[in-house]
Amino acid sequence: MRKRNRLALFALLGALTLVAAACADEDEGGAETGATGGTGTTGAAVDCEADPFGCVEVGAGEPITVGTLLAISGDVAFLGLDSQYGVELAVDYLDGAFDGTPGQIAGHDVSLVNEDDGCSAEGGQAGATKLAANTQMVAVIGTSCSSAALGVADKILADQGIMLISPSNTNPNLTAEGVTTGFYARTAHNDKIQGAIVADFAYDELGATSAATINDESPYADALAAVFRSVFESKGGTITTFEAIQSSDTDFKPLLTSIAEQSPDVLYFPDFNPACALITSQAADIPGLADTALIGSDGCADPSFTETAGAAADGAYISQPDTSAFTQGDFYQNDFLPAYEELVGDTPTAAFHAHSFDAMNILADAIEAVAVQNDDGSLTIPRTALKDAVLATSGYEGITGTITCDALGDCATLVTIGVYQVPDVPFDDPQAKPVFSETKSLADVAA
Amino acid sequence: MSATGSRAVGGGALGRLERLPLRRIVLTALSIGVLVAVVYGSYRTLTLPAGQRYSASAWRDFIVLGIAQGAVYALIALGYTLVYGILRMINFAHGEVFMAGAFSSYFFADAWKDSGFMDDRTWLSLVLLVLIAMGVSVLVAVLLERIAYRPLRGAPRLVPLITAIGASLFLQNTFRGLFGSQTKGYPKPTALEGTWTILGIPIQKVQVIVLVVATVSMIALTLFVARTKTGKSMRAAAEDQEIASLMGIDVDRVIVTTFIIGGMLAGIAGVLFALTFGNISYFMGFAPGITAFTAAVLGGIGSISGAAIGGLTIGLLQSVGPALLLTGANVPSPFQLKDVVTFAILILVLVFRPGGILGTGEAEKV
Amino acid sequence: MTVGTRTGVRAGLIGGVVLVYLAMVGMIAAFDDLNLIGEQVTLGLVLLAAPPFGAALLAVRPRVVGGRVERPEPRAALVTGMLAGGLSGAVLGAWALVVDAIGIERVRQVFVAVSPKLMDIITFGRGLPVGAVILLVGGVVLGAVGGVWRTIRYDLRRPLSVGAGVVLLMGLLQRIVPTILDELSIERDWLYSKVTLGLTWLGAIVVFVVAAGVTAFVMDRRERAGAAAPGAGTVEGRRAFRGVLLLAVAFGLIVLPQLAGTIVSEILGSVGVYVLLALGLNIVTGYAGMLHLGFGAFFLIGAYSTALLTGANLVTAFGLVAPQFSANLDFYVALPLVIALGAGVGALLAAPVLRLRGDYLAIVTLAFGQIAVILVTSNWLQPITGGPQGLRDVTDAELLGVSFRTPQSFYYLVVAFCVIAVYVSWRLASSRTGRAWNAMREDEQVADAMGVNTPRYKLLGFAIGGAIGAVGGALFAVKVGTVQPGSFEILVSITTLAIVILGGLGSVPGVVVGALVLIGLPGLLSQFEEYRLLIYGAVLVAIMILRPQGLIPNVRRSRELQEEERTQDAWQQIFGEPESEQEPAAEDAR
Repeated sequence: MRKRNRLALFALLGALTLVAAACADEDEGGAETGATGGTGTTGAAVDCEADPFGCVEVGAGEPITVGTLLAISGDVAFLGLDSQYGVELAVDYLDGAFDGTPGQIAGHDVSLVNEDDGCSAEGGQAGATKLAANTQMVAVIGTSCSSAALGVADKILADQGIMLISPSNTNPNLTAEGVTTGFYARTAHNDKIQGAIVADFAYDELGATSAATINDESPYADALAAVFRSVFESKGGTITTFEAIQSSDTDFKPLLTSIAEQSPDVLYFPDFNPACALITSQAADIPGLADTALIGSDGCADPSFTETAGAAADGAYISQPDTSAFTQGDFYQNDFLPAYEELVGDTPTAAFHAHSFDAMNILADAIEAVAVQNDDGSLTIPRTALKDAVLATSGYEGITGTITCDALGDCATLVTIGVYQVPDVPFDDPQAKPVFSETKSLADVAA
Repeated sequence: MSATGSRAVGGGALGRLERLPLRRIVLTALSIGVLVAVVYGSYRTLTLPAGQRYSASAWRDFIVLGIAQGAVYALIALGYTLVYGILRMINFAHGEVFMAGAFSSYFFADAWKDSGFMDDRTWLSLVLLVLIAMGVSVLVAVLLERIAYRPLRGAPRLVPLITAIGASLFLQNTFRGLFGSQTKGYPKPTALEGTWTILGIPIQKVQVIVLVVATVSMIALTLFVARTKTGKSMRAAAEDQEIASLMGIDVDRVIVTTFIIGGMLAGIAGVLFALTFGNISYFMGFAPGITAFTAAVLGGIGSISGAAIGGLTIGLLQSVGPALLLTGANVPSPFQLKDVVTFAILILVLVFRPGGILGTGEAEKV
Repeated sequence: MTVGTRTGVRAGLIGGVVLVYLAMVGMIAAFDDLNLIGEQVTLGLVLLAAPPFGAALLAVRPRVVGGRVERPEPRAALVTGMLAGGLSGAVLGAWALVVDAIGIERVRQVFVAVSPKLMDIITFGRGLPVGAVILLVGGVVLGAVGGVWRTIRYDLRRPLSVGAGVVLLMGLLQRIVPTILDELSIERDWLYSKVTLGLTWLGAIVVFVVAAGVTAFVMDRRERAGAAAPGAGTVEGRRAFRGVLLLAVAFGLIVLPQLAGTIVSEILGSVGVYVLLALGLNIVTGYAGMLHLGFGAFFLIGAYSTALLTGANLVTAFGLVAPQFSANLDFYVALPLVIALGAGVGALLAAPVLRLRGDYLAIVTLAFGQIAVILVTSNWLQPITGGPQGLRDVTDAELLGVSFRTPQSFYYLVVAFCVIAVYVSWRLASSRTGRAWNAMREDEQVADAMGVNTPRYKLLGFAIGGAIGAVGGALFAVKVGTVQPGSFEILVSITTLAIVILGGLGSVPGVVVGALVLIGLPGLLSQFEEYRLLIYGAVLVAIMILRPQGLIPNVRRSRELQEEERTQDAWQQIFGEPESEQEPAAEDAR
């Protein structure tokens, strides 16, 4: 009998709460009614029906939803988080000051949705799917790794008409004719430029006539090494060997011994840490490489390089975006960097925070340009027009330089890559100056 | 292959196909293929035109590198072989025991390098580092035995193996969570930088230390197992656990001792490895673990001298192999495939001579 | 009482160590971002509360002493529980005090997860030493509950624990359920908050009450049915129940993607691919009993061969290039070739190692898996496999005008193949081959002596498993559209193994559940991503020690794996607590 009573009690309670819930007053705001656009104070009616991807309707008082798809977890988190902070700082600066209170775009707050690109194809797919499912998503800043974007994130987002702007993808294929999705842009340099500039440095500046390359299993390294080899050879140099490693390898001595046999003038290893650092420190033990210049690229450019390689790192070269071009700029030094340290509690861990800052700002400007203010306070943002506006950005003065995007999505069309020599490197000393710096445009290297 | 079996399948032509010894065909093909590849590759490499050929000093360097590497592998392999001898199980997590020792010694090494202690009292600091590494490795090994392996003593073979894999993952990622995923640079005492010239060959100072320490450890171990009472108990338990316990040997204690010894050796190997390559990370145990296991199997699992020989051989093969076999065969980037060489050797050893070099040459049946 | 104190102290110390571990490894801080109920109950809080509670349960569990089972008196249990729980909390509190004394920044230089945020969480925002006291008191309270938990009547306890479990589950599913409700246009803001993303307090209470109520109801009915007619009528009832269940599941499967949105469909697509892989491994390891540590190789072979056969292009730094060997076949024409390749490679791999004992075989498979990945990334094979950059423009498996690359449509594709694979597994299990595998697994020498052609069946196992694995790889290639070596690392092999182990070796429903847990949950909860491998490792060890037959056991296998446990089960039976393990054993009397 007691059981039945208890049972009945449960059932009654359950029923009561259900009834209470059903009768409860629910009024959630945020009505997104239709996509017919409207007439606004800024111009003629926007025809969302005609836009193949429609418009985003941001209700009065609602925030504009912008996503980030960056490598924020795992072993490359230093890269993705650094970029994410750049975006957050950009949102802060929308009101013209780094004051910790976010600004607004076209009178609306900005709501950031952060996803992880996992630095892999399936990570990019998963993250992009999550972002693309959000019908309010206006645009996405990402990805960190080219492998997450190539054919995955760029396509998933483009299929929904969501603009993707990357602060650190450098793989040439993302903006190649016939391959790019159209809804893609990047403020990072195209590695066709970096590879060419490093080859110029090696051949012209160092006077090298022979080189060896070592790339790891990442698409980034593979592409960059390939570009270097191609340009170096076309200038008249010879490639003695091109080798490959696993990024998790720790023993490079047999490999380095083998390379030393051919006595190349330059050894180029555009990989990531710890491989970069280990190659550098182990090369010091190989007598045959004593006269070989060691060159790494921006994958190596983080503090762990000098920490892990120790004294052996001195004299090695690292190529990365020439931060002295903007490092000496007052804004970067006096405003941006302090605000970064205030937000994060540490100096930047990677080289692309400025690029993501610029990317977010370009996006903000484009939104302001194409968004239509409706009479009821809501905002209509046509997707294709937004994409066009981003790609039409011209002469924008960003931290990373003057930004003019081309039709294929490369916004860093005039790129200054600096070659630094340890210990004078930006990731250890933000004031560092490069020993060689060259500016190339995409047109120069389009070959 | 019973007659009933083949008739049930359909007899006739299919039955004859059934009786074709697929295994023997594949094995023969495999052995011929390997032989051809080795001979061809070596021949081509050694007859490369002068400009492309490896110099004598390069070969010498490869060999020295290989031996030094091999010494470290031998130390780790001993841990595998000892445990396997008694428990007949592969302690998959032994690589993590090695990593734990190296990792924990790092913090002290780093601090001592900064404070100058490492350079002032190099030998003392090295001894202390080894002791610390040994201590932590032993702790991890004993915990593994108590928590993960002991409850599963009687279980079917699959079970402890999977547990070992799980333990390996768990330990790796525990260290990752505790200490971060960044690889850390392991400091080298200034006294150990550079080379010594021995018999006219310049050898890295660190490599010499590695060879000396490894040799001494192995000799000590052999003596221990041969002469002391505990060592004799270990051998007895390795022969037959049940009878050993009937003879009054505390098998549980022997097993723990085995893990302790394996842990000590792994700890030593950890410091040596860190000094040689200058870095530690949470995943540093995985690859050396598998390679060391290959070495143990190659030499003859269950045998101490087997582990030593296996380690040296593997070290040499990893170092010399790609250079010798693949360069001449025009394989681009041969050193990328060094793990392929190692694994191929492992497969071949297990297929053709599971008993290893010092083993009996018979396939050990299930 | 001395016994009680000793066990209490021991359990308390274990609980304390677990707490400190969770804190130092960073899980508490990371999981604190996940709101389960309102803003107060986060997953981090649950992690904090679980060890003291668990320690108390551990301390007061019934013991077999001298042939009799001893359970502590309620009052003794209460005290022991409080001791255990309190000690756990105290250990963490002491640890926090020590860290504070040394200085957080100094500790953080070595132990990177010890952050001010963490300290804030474990002291509940009150700082030390108040926080330490809270931990102690909280531990005592939780321990008290844990201590007397078992003394609560079973028919009250069960509904409570089920209710709590369902609330936890609903909290964890905060990405799916609200989306589904939104699609069905059901009001859901009373249940899930838009601000915290988790359950609201009202919602949590409702869920708890409903779940507990339903459980109580079902238990009541079962008891009455069992008492009234033992055995009779239940078989038909069970069959009908099973039929309805199957229909409901099928209906749910078909309708789910429409309801649950693209995110969930995408995750389910990944789950489906892994289900295929795990079904393949289930055949090799679960049925045929051969531990395979390199199953990712078949995944890789399936994906790359699909890409090459359907006209994918190599990605190079200078644009897209056709591979040296490729064909431009339709996906469905290429698929049989892919299957044949998977089976062929499986057999070829198996042939040389047929005579090897279990652990050696496992290592060989591991080696083979590694070789496959290295070869595919290598510069040597780059003209065919694309090296690090891989291949792209894999076909989208278009059939009758339907492209399968969108999440929802891919879901249907993968479910279709899963159903086929499940059917194959099911038929195999009860076929002659399946029986031969059973015999081989239990004692190979005896099976040989009885005339079972063990080499042949081993080959068959590898071949079939390899074929199914290759299909999984093919579908993965279709899903993602690009094939990059980074997707085929050893992680795939480990994950697949973990799924099969967790679900239960040889159990097909287990494989599905395992995939849902190990792939679905991390997909839904990004906090798990960081700790994924740690959890996999812990799961593998825990399952092997505590419940080697997995979550949904295959009865036959569990008998093999559990010889020792059965004795203990017999003891349990004396106390009339119907354990869940006994249900399937009774049902599956085929």
